[in-house]
Amino acid sequence: MILELDNVELNFYNRSILNGIYLKAETGKITGILGSNGCGKTSLLEIIFGNITPKHKLIRIDNRPVFKPLYLSKSVKYLPQYFFLPSLKLRAIFKLFKVDWNNFILIFNTFKAYTNLNINKLSGGERRLIEVYLILKSKSDIVLLDEPFSHLAPLYIEKIKTILAEEKATKAIIITDHLYPHIIEMSEDIYLLKNGCSKKIESLIELEDYQYLSRGSMR
Amino acid sequence: MQQFLSILTFYRSFVLWSFVVNIILTIVNPQIFSAVITKLLLTVFVWYLVHETGAKRKLTFYKNLGISPLKLFSVLFFVDILITIIFLILIKEYI
Repeated sequence: MILELDNVELNFYNRSILNGIYLKAETGKITGILGSNGCGKTSLLEIIFGNITPKHKLIRIDNRPVFKPLYLSKSVKYLPQYFFLPSLKLRAIFKLFKVDWNNFILIFNTFKAYTNLNINKLSGGERRLIEVYLILKSKSDIVLLDEPFSHLAPLYIEKIKTILAEEKATKAIIITDHLYPHIIEMSEDIYLLKNGCSKKIESLIELEDYQYLSRGSMR
Repeated sequence: MQQFLSILTFYRSFVLWSFVVNIILTIVNPQIFSAVITKLLLTVFVWYLVHETGAKRKLTFYKNLGISPLKLFSVLFFVDILITIIFLILIKEYI
């Protein structure tokens, strides 16, 4: 499956946020989006998911234009930056997402004691881990991850990266995070957002040329 | 079924308020038609509040399950009105 986003024009109060975007993501690949604060990374993911309606956009899946919000197709899962799960017991949340709780505690065995706990009783990092895991593991064709590594301990980040590598076999994954070494390491394709436009990065040194990273960072 | 259960989790936070409105309706005007109209207006008001405030973020959970805001609030209304009608019939029967 190939997802393409094209001709995006997004303005907030006469301020142009996005104006020249082309992005392609496909099954079997992780597509990374990099860019400085406020460049429109989150807006881009929200446009794909269907949370934001821009002035113009064209979303194509396997060359067919999609006119309805993508979330209505149930083929896309979106991890926003904010906590989005309601106050429910962990087991109940896993049931709603049709994700196996036992498989989760096999990987993250410290959560075994939390089976009947309400998600609000967990720490911010633990909640984030649950959210990332659910979004990655629930049934979908497209996964949109907005800063999945924030709040996570290094050991959890490594485990999530392993799950990402497994899940990409059947999903098109689009990911953005300020922890850019992880994005660079995991992504097959990288796009840089700058001045409202997307630029496909062919060589990592371009990240310095476009002043996303300081000189010498990629050497 | 999973979708319906998740919509009920959204309804959970409004149950108490809905019950308070039912009590007021019973005192003021215990007619089913006026109850339907009142609950419809209140559902539209809640939709507006959620849509125009930070509570909009709560909808991301439901959208991830493939539930649109229209579907969410429609089911919310029908569940609530069903409970309200049963409540009013029982009250009329016993009072």
